[in-house]
Amino acid sequence: MHLTGYVGLLFSLLAFLFLAGFAGFAAWTRKEEALTVLERGQLIAACGVILSTLILLVALTTRDYSFRYVYNNVDNALSFVYTLTALWGGREGSLLCWELIIALSGMIFVATPGYKSLGSDTKLVFWMFFLTVQGFFLLLLTGWSNPFIEIVPAPGDGRGLNPLLRNPGMIFHPPLLFAGFALYTIPACAALASSIAGEKKSWIKVVRNWNILSWVFLTAGIVLGAWWSYMELGWGGYWAWDPVENASLIPWFAGTAVLHTAIIESRRNALQRTNVFLMSLTFILCIFSTYLTRSGVIDSLHTFGASGVAQPLFWSMAVTLVVTLMVVFLSERQVQRSLSDFLSRQGLLVITAWFLLALGLVVTLGTMWPVISRLWTVSPMGLDAHFYNRVCLPFMALLVLLFCFCPWLGWKGGVRNMKGFIAVGVVLVVAFAGFYLSGMTNVLAALTAAAAVAALVSIGLLFALYPALRAMRQSWGAYGVHLGLVLLALGVAFSGPYKTEREVVLAQGESVAIGEFTVTYAGLQEDRNVGDIVARATATLAVSKDGRDVGVLKPDKRIYKNFPNQQFAEVGTIPSFGDELYATLLGLTEDNKASFKISVNPLVNWIWIGGTIMCLLAFLLLRRMPRPGEVR
Amino acid sequence: MAKKSNKIVYAVALVLFLGGLSYLIFSGLTQDSVYFLNVTEALAQDRAEIGNARLFGKVSPRGLAIADGKLGADFNLVDKVQHDKTLRVEYKGALPDTFKPDVEVIVEGRFSTDGQVFMAKTLVTKCPSKYEEKSKQMDAQQGQAG
Repeated sequence: MHLTGYVGLLFSLLAFLFLAGFAGFAAWTRKEEALTVLERGQLIAACGVILSTLILLVALTTRDYSFRYVYNNVDNALSFVYTLTALWGGREGSLLCWELIIALSGMIFVATPGYKSLGSDTKLVFWMFFLTVQGFFLLLLTGWSNPFIEIVPAPGDGRGLNPLLRNPGMIFHPPLLFAGFALYTIPACAALASSIAGEKKSWIKVVRNWNILSWVFLTAGIVLGAWWSYMELGWGGYWAWDPVENASLIPWFAGTAVLHTAIIESRRNALQRTNVFLMSLTFILCIFSTYLTRSGVIDSLHTFGASGVAQPLFWSMAVTLVVTLMVVFLSERQVQRSLSDFLSRQGLLVITAWFLLALGLVVTLGTMWPVISRLWTVSPMGLDAHFYNRVCLPFMALLVLLFCFCPWLGWKGGVRNMKGFIAVGVVLVVAFAGFYLSGMTNVLAALTAAAAVAALVSIGLLFALYPALRAMRQSWGAYGVHLGLVLLALGVAFSGPYKTEREVVLAQGESVAIGEFTVTYAGLQEDRNVGDIVARATATLAVSKDGRDVGVLKPDKRIYKNFPNQQFAEVGTIPSFGDELYATLLGLTEDNKASFKISVNPLVNWIWIGGTIMCLLAFLLLRRMPRPGEVR
Repeated sequence: MAKKSNKIVYAVALVLFLGGLSYLIFSGLTQDSVYFLNVTEALAQDRAEIGNARLFGKVSPRGLAIADGKLGADFNLVDKVQHDKTLRVEYKGALPDTFKPDVEVIVEGRFSTDGQVFMAKTLVTKCPSKYEEKSKQMDAQQGQAG
């Protein structure tokens, strides 16, 4: 089976490379008939990737340790769910999943009305790029990152999944990120192809749904990653500005920027070159994200470690960037349109894109600073969380502020509803004063929170004043996504600077005050042999506020099979829309005391709620493309 | 054709925006940059002048003292490549679960005034994004198999 799996990949590699070359030749000689071969070729070659993935999946579920990948990622005690998730848990498997999603998306794209509406020249160039990308991934999978390496003789048990990774986050976070990265291949290739071929049809409209879906998956992956980090011990919250965390955020900024500038092109046919560049940049940054995590170029909290794929990834980025710049500067612009007034909805969309790109640049600069600083010093300098907070938070606050007022401006200029505009301004000032005077003395946090409140009022007023808005699914989608962002910003504004945390050692019956809460250590319960847990100690912490019981925290410590020398903690929480109580059992002392890390996280759950709303309501933005010839 | 006045307004706004961004980045770079050093690099410097730093290395099994209740530890930080280069680290906070001998850690803080001890304010162990743990039993099994 090892050989079959490998041959499946090898077949796809050769097929994709041949087809990509064929597509290039056909585009050059304008052989429209080649499209049938290319479309069927994509389907057939993708079957090789699907077959290989199925073989690896079967090897994982049957725990066939003769596969080195299975040995490295699974063991006999691992539950079925985590055995399945091991498909994307390791380095080779995650690349395979990435390529699988690209291959499947290609199979689907061929059948869509959007693809069918494109001109033949554009389709040919699209295939040249799209098939080359797949060929590149398969080159990695058949060379530097082969998941089908055999161990002879096969071991009786595998290394097993580290217990820190046995979390629902592991089930969803990586595949969502990979899906986001992979799906961006289609809009990026379509953008470049349309630009080269001088496509009459707007590629922005053709791949609109793909662009939105890519963004949704990437956003969901990032938010889930933050939640996973929050729920695991020792990570210091939901965002640590670690290089690997930043790696997924950088393409998100570019992807979000292009969603905004695409609106301008859709409605006004302006910013054509900008959009091609931004779309391709987003794709390049997805590769950059993988480069950061697998090259070892930056020291990170994550031990992905250096792997052989770093150099090919680097060169693929360099080549794609050169191709993109050539396409952007050398291609003809179909229509030259200027932007409307600066203080218009269109103007603010441009500014929003600037802000997002600036944030992406800042995060990239901060992440790469240890490498950049080596240009002039042997002792590398890095940037800590203060840098990101100092530079990024003002921009994030301003972004929310822009959103408060943007909907009240006319598309081409002027205020379309002065009363609404002023009302939002008044709410902003009053909310800021209210937050500041109630003790939120961090000006930036108060401004972000006030902007979030004003944005909420803004959305409410808009829906109340404009019945047409309520009747449109698109409006619910667009404003819903922004509502989610606003709630997320509110959560960050409070939970970041106003988190209260204490590390304490308590004897049974002893209490400690944390913020406005009193936490009492009630006792410890011990269990043995629960599933793959050998031993577990669960502490009970009773929480009260002003003499009233608020709830019970039950953090625990556990020892898993195959990891006898290491204890793992699971946090206990008392979820709340306001102050969330959060506790970790750190250890037990010889005199029967227990040490805890306990924190009060104000409004932290609004981050997850906002993130979920952003992702779910974005589906309302999807539009059915009319079939060629269909009148709507 | 593009309206001239619009172009000027956008250009001015862009200049202002870039000015603000540059200022923020510059102030961030001058005030928030810290040394990112491995143990060998830290030892090669005048440690009293380093100020805030982030150090990368492994926890040495020798000289490791974990406080009762897992609040704090004193240990030697070993360079990942040159194993004979070590630095003494003192940390008072909560230890992550994965903290143990030979694990890779990142510590942030500053050196004591005499430059002999690194006083860590934060300590994080690297996330096991890939399986690296292997029990002795499995090692033995693998040894027999191989």
